[in-house]
Amino acid sequence: MKQRFPDFIKKILFVEILKGLALTFRTMLKPPVTRQYPKERRDPKPGFRGQHAFVRDAVTKREKCVACQKCAIVCPSRCISIRYTTDDSGARKLTKYEIDALRCIFCGYCESVCPVCAIVLTETYEYASYSRDGFLYDRERLLLNWDEFAARLKRDSYFNMFWRPAGCDVRRLPAGKREQQAIPAGRKPEAKSQKSEEENTENGRPSPSVGEGGRI
Amino acid sequence: MEPVGVAGTETRKELTLNMGPQHPATHGVLRLTLDLDGETVIRCTPHVGYLHRGIEKLAETRTYQGVMPLTDRLDYVASVANNVGYCLAVERLFGIEAPDRAKYLRTIAFEMSRISSHLLWLATHALDIGAMTVFLYCFREREWLLDIFETICGARLTVSYPRIGGVLQDMEPAVLESLEAFTRMFPEKILEYETLIDKNRIWLQRTQGVGVISAKDAVRWGLTGPTLRGSGVSYDLRRDVPYDAYDRVQFEVPIGNKGDVYDRYRCRMEELRQSNRIIQQCIAALPEGDILASDAPELDMPISGKKELVPEMSLGNASLAFGDRVSVAPKGEIYSAVEVPKGELGFYLMSDGTGNPCRMRVRSPSYVHAGALAKMCEGGFIADVIAVIGSIDIVMGECDR
Ligand code: SF4
Ligand code: SF4
Repeated sequence: MKQRFPDFIKKILFVEILKGLALTFRTMLKPPVTRQYPKERRDPKPGFRGQHAFVRDAVTKREKCVACQKCAIVCPSRCISIRYTTDDSGARKLTKYEIDALRCIFCGYCESVCPVCAIVLTETYEYASYSRDGFLYDRERLLLNWDEFAARLKRDSYFNMFWRPAGCDVRRLPAGKREQQAIPAGRKPEAKSQKSEEENTENGRPSPSVGEGGRI
Repeated sequence: MEPVGVAGTETRKELTLNMGPQHPATHGVLRLTLDLDGETVIRCTPHVGYLHRGIEKLAETRTYQGVMPLTDRLDYVASVANNVGYCLAVERLFGIEAPDRAKYLRTIAFEMSRISSHLLWLATHALDIGAMTVFLYCFREREWLLDIFETICGARLTVSYPRIGGVLQDMEPAVLESLEAFTRMFPEKILEYETLIDKNRIWLQRTQGVGVISAKDAVRWGLTGPTLRGSGVSYDLRRDVPYDAYDRVQFEVPIGNKGDVYDRYRCRMEELRQSNRIIQQCIAALPEGDILASDAPELDMPISGKKELVPEMSLGNASLAFGDRVSVAPKGEIYSAVEVPKGELGFYLMSDGTGNPCRMRVRSPSYVHAGALAKMCEGGFIADVIAVIGSIDIVMGECDR
């Protein structure tokens, strides 16, 4: 009986409901956690698996792809098609490279296996199109994707985490990936920011930094 | 509608109501046909298959590595759990053992996905019953975990973070630090959700004594996970058949006793706390070392022992093609199950020695649970059907596969 009496009072006074309301009112006074999307854009984390691109080589100004077909073999949705010719010395020359982005499931396998770090999934996530053709990326379009992405990048250099995943056994990687360095891209490095950038990068890889309240 | 009946006799009419597949509270594309007498459900027949993508068949044409991203699309709310379940099945078949650090990392990611899945469940379950605030609060915390997933593997939902024989990449100290900050903050947030609904009289009326299934029936219908534990059966694969690092962490398996919607809710809330504990212990005990077994198959694993025959290969390599066809995978069959947030997710794999699974079958908890809806909804009201669907936490991607 003793136990039940306070329960009864609590029930009459709507204690549990008032407690809930107090919580929501307290939350009301805190700053909002939502983002007003088109106005406030969120930058994806480095390594986000977004739109495909061919890294433009600094020397040849073209893609680095050697037509090894590895990406086409591993692709679980079979959306990469490659044609190539072989010259007398046996070297392959890429003649056609097409990604059907509508079929892609963004698993990141292609960038994981590419032995020369040619194909990457960039951090671009807004790329709507009015037609299906707009999602059929050929070589030129893939290079263009890279130029657009590199121009917009907010960091000084670009290093894709799939080239050398943290903690992986580098001996298992092909030479092209072992030796791949970060690519200068994005805004022009300033003397000051470059220094701070150097501090928290290792091998050119941007390390995640913990922000306010422990959030990444 | 005209009541049919002879004058003087009681007129009684059953009404068949079609609920779904486009109903917002059916969590996807579940369709139920309800035979009603007034507001009481006499019979409930679930229909599945609206999200069928043939993942099991598709797996037969992909290599063992290529199947992994498909498993993301089973229970897309907790994709790491599916990935780990699949990877474990392949590892057990191939006889590969992941290194210690990888095991711990997988356990951490697994529990993160359990928390994010339970948060989504709580959010939608509460929304179905009418508590809008909880929905927003849960998404607030879930966002933190999704950000961590994005940092470690580049995707928020379909992560493909584990690999056969380990994980994709190490979690850097900053990630672990952020995760630790999350686990310190999270118990307080669970209390917040409970403040809002745990004692709330509307919540209690909508959930207590609703959708009851007895322990005996629950076992008979093949229920697993919190849906089974809510009925008082203590069965958890993490404890009973430990995998990864679960035998090295302490946690409790919460059980209910009445088997109603409220008990299942309580079980999941308690599991949130236990998952939080597991993550904390794993971070504290995280060993150094490799993250991928040295005998793990490559992403571009061959389909058969014969290497791809290309004209410019040297004679030495070409002879390999004509020589004996070495098996790339051991022949055999295996059933391996893990405790995903929804219940027991099993992968049955049959290997004929090639790089493609000869047959893959997925035992998905959601499919079994959707079947048991018929039992749980019987005799309740229409409004209770919503509460019951929420309480068994089904994801149609996994149910229809
Ligand atoms: S991300 Fe995956 S699905 Fe998309 S093109 Fe690359 S390998 Fe294919
Ligand atoms: S894996 Fe890389 S180098 Fe090989 S075909 Fe694909 S993009 Fe070209």
